[in-house]
Amino acid sequence: MEMNEILLEIKGLKAGIEGKEILKGVDLTIRKGEIHAIMGPNGAGKSTLSAVLAGRENFIVTEGSVTFLGQDLLKMSPEERSWAGIFLSFQYPVEIPGVSITNFMKTAVNAHRKAKGQAELKAGEFLKLMKEKMAFVQMKPEFSKREVNVGFSGGEKKRNEIFQMAMLDPVLSILDETDSGLDVDALRIVAHGVNSLHTPEKSVIVITHYQRLLDYIVPDVVHVLKDGRIVKTAGRELVAQIENDGYDSIG
Amino acid sequence: MDDKTEKDILQDIAAREYEHGFVTDVEQEFIPKGLDEDIIRLISAKKDEPEWLLEFRLEAFRRWQKMKMPTWAHLDIPEIDFQDIIYYAAPKKDSDRPKEIDPELEATFEKLGIPLNERAALAGVAVDAVFDSVSVTTTFRKALSDKGIIFCSFSEAVREHPDLVRKYLASVVPIGDNFYSALNSAVFSDGSFCYIPKGVRCPMELSSYFRINAKGTGQFERTLIVADEGSYVSYMEGCTAPMRDENQLHAAVVEIVVEKDAEVKYSTVQNWYPGDAEGKGGIFNFVTKRGICKGSGSHLSWTQVETGSAITWKYPSTILKGDNSSSEFYSVAVTNNFQQADTGTKMIHIGKNTRSRIVSKGISAGHSQNSYRGLVKMLPGADNARNFSQCDSLLIGDRCGAHTFPDIRNANRTAVVEHEATTSKISEEQLFYCNQRGIAPEEAVGLIVNGYAREVLSKLPMEFAVEAQKLLSVSLEGSVG
Amino acid sequence: MEETMHKTFKIYEGATCGMVIMLDGSGRSILCTGMPGDRTACDADDFGCIVLEKDARLNIVYIVMPGAQTGIDLSVALNGEGAEALVSGIYLCSGEDRVRIGMDIRHNVPHCISRQLFKGLVSGAAKVSFHGRITVAQDAQKTEAYQENHSIVLSDDAVVETRPQLEIYADDVKCSHGATVGRLNEEEQFYMRSRGIPENEAKVLQMLSFLYPVLENVADSACREEVASAIDSAVRHL
Repeated sequence: MEMNEILLEIKGLKAGIEGKEILKGVDLTIRKGEIHAIMGPNGAGKSTLSAVLAGRENFIVTEGSVTFLGQDLLKMSPEERSWAGIFLSFQYPVEIPGVSITNFMKTAVNAHRKAKGQAELKAGEFLKLMKEKMAFVQMKPEFSKREVNVGFSGGEKKRNEIFQMAMLDPVLSILDETDSGLDVDALRIVAHGVNSLHTPEKSVIVITHYQRLLDYIVPDVVHVLKDGRIVKTAGRELVAQIENDGYDSIG
Repeated sequence: MDDKTEKDILQDIAAREYEHGFVTDVEQEFIPKGLDEDIIRLISAKKDEPEWLLEFRLEAFRRWQKMKMPTWAHLDIPEIDFQDIIYYAAPKKDSDRPKEIDPELEATFEKLGIPLNERAALAGVAVDAVFDSVSVTTTFRKALSDKGIIFCSFSEAVREHPDLVRKYLASVVPIGDNFYSALNSAVFSDGSFCYIPKGVRCPMELSSYFRINAKGTGQFERTLIVADEGSYVSYMEGCTAPMRDENQLHAAVVEIVVEKDAEVKYSTVQNWYPGDAEGKGGIFNFVTKRGICKGSGSHLSWTQVETGSAITWKYPSTILKGDNSSSEFYSVAVTNNFQQADTGTKMIHIGKNTRSRIVSKGISAGHSQNSYRGLVKMLPGADNARNFSQCDSLLIGDRCGAHTFPDIRNANRTAVVEHEATTSKISEEQLFYCNQRGIAPEEAVGLIVNGYAREVLSKLPMEFAVEAQKLLSVSLEGSVG
Repeated sequence: MEETMHKTFKIYEGATCGMVIMLDGSGRSILCTGMPGDRTACDADDFGCIVLEKDARLNIVYIVMPGAQTGIDLSVALNGEGAEALVSGIYLCSGEDRVRIGMDIRHNVPHCISRQLFKGLVSGAAKVSFHGRITVAQDAQKTEAYQENHSIVLSDDAVVETRPQLEIYADDVKCSHGATVGRLNEEEQFYMRSRGIPENEAKVLQMLSFLYPVLENVADSACREEVASAIDSAVRHL
């Protein structure tokens, strides 16, 4: 089978926070069109990996490289990574009081367009886009007037993340524990959103502790991250093994 | 976000330029520097004033001479030499066509976004444009006078409606009220006068735009707004000045009288030149604004967006005299670089069932100091009066200060006063979240700060809200945290 | 500060100091201390200025009883990282009482916590003024400073003035203050009365529950009992 183009390549990545090493040498290659699951016990470094990929500055990279579409990702600012097509669905989306979702997304979408040398969207076009993408994650129109994440339920927060993903149309989406705190209905909506956005040109990293979400978003490759290293990589059958035998059986 | 990035962004934001810093090259007439009774007589003569007004000025001057500059504010005010100021400067009128506006001045206001030509003017906004010591023109006067509304420069009001002026002048801010208001009463040059007759709802926004242009001068305008029974008016005030190394003094007095069942909304976007990034230059803004809810059921609402001035000393206040009267104070004060602001309000509850609400949002960046100071006083007769105050401070960077000085005095068993204050900074999480969505740090700060101030901004008339939002972002440029 | 120059009382590194000071018509007395040794060993007036060193803990509770004509001036300096100060008080004022409370809390170093909670009932022609200030120095990052002052005015001639002030020169801090001057909640009263509780008893219950959060700060249970019963009888006579 012919291999697709490489989207993301992580080599020997070591990173930590406040002098404590959390990632102790991670290697990972993601090709276009692939869905990867990164599973692992609590404290394995899953969220650190997503934070480092998105450019969170309090995490310090001490060794290794990350290449995204041929560019040195580690040299890019968080917003440059966003413009290049990396999207992080946050595990704990922060509240921004007083800023409406509409205003927030308009600012973000136009920043992306500016980075690409495109003109700002006209108000009408923008609202049409909003409406379309909101329907996609079954958000009511009133939602657009609410302040970003303020007073949202767990499910609303995660749906809002996927809605933003739909708006920004990323090449690589990283879903960090997107299933935590979701009931089955919300989980289905979120998974449906992610699956429908998926194309052969795009890739997804699903970071999760449990099998649940992977019943709906089916991975091509499954990695187990333990103590800062990827200890096993296999096909989707690995998910069932972990669910039955736990993480102790691996690595 | 690590310290380095935080500082870099902060500096970028602080470095942005003041947009209205140009000087208009127009021939002007000045009186000599300094202040004594002769100067006051000269100002009064230039304006062709009646004897009673000259007496009023002289009385104020005599009181002022015995007063000292107040020192209770949390401000570091350099010595001001009141003899080194020119108290009157006016553009020379072209004698051939004295009725028309000097094209230079028209162009100046045009550049400031205030077209004086009624056809080009913002729909629904009448403007009184004040340039240094005189009013240049007042638009839509005809349309307003058809409804019985008087909107003109203060000098014209003295000539054309002396009885009204005499009745209300100093009725809210007495001559000797404080050091700066006494100075203003002695030397005030122009300003706006507005009278809304009984039962009339003013069909458009009224606005005054104050521009300091001349060097070495101060601006001392006087505004008097009277809303007669059951009337309504929304009034807006804007101001700018050129960029200069010297500090220029602005000491205004605003008096508002709200009669029974009338409503006045007073909005300010204060954008005087704040000084440069090193703290050089800028306007010293010492302003006394006070309104009285005189009749029952009257309502006065203050909304202010304070982004300018090197020093701001300003406490728009309301005396709630009429039963069931109510007042609000909504404020956003932004300080950056070396700016200092000590601003807030006084709500004096005299009447029964009076209500007041205070929402203050202070934003400090750079090396600035930003204080909220407020007095809420419930007098013994203020049965069932209520006040609620919410004063929040946002700090951007670690070299600035945010202070809250409320003073609550309750002498009525049935009155309830509540005050809350919080201090916070823009969180790294909020900034990172915005960055991850592709919004660059500087823009993210603007977005977050505007969100933080939304409750206040939403109270501004539409015409002002957009400008105010832009101004907030611009004022904080170079300061992100 | 008019009566005496206060001595500085220092709480050394890692030490804990707790005390309850009662003020009434006969002056001030220390009810209990969390310090080793005799509780009468130090004069209550010694605690005008308290300095906390690294990781030191302070818990001071003032109880101002009716009849006390008093001024309390306390300044607390948090001079060592990790220090925590809890300063609280109850004031019950009646008749012609004049009570003035001045608190000056200074955060001079990072990572310290201060909490102030003052609650009081004011009746008769009493006059109370509370003047509290928190100052956070420029280098005192990660400070947490909270200040609450709540008063209930029970009579037409009583007057309450409160000036809770924040002066903050550091940005990474959590600071807040809240102040209310109000009356007993009538809905609560109605609710209790509709359950058969007589009006006066309902008011007493409300007042006691209003004061309770301060009482909770008295760590020593025997001492708390003593204070609670004194407050209970004073509230019934307000």
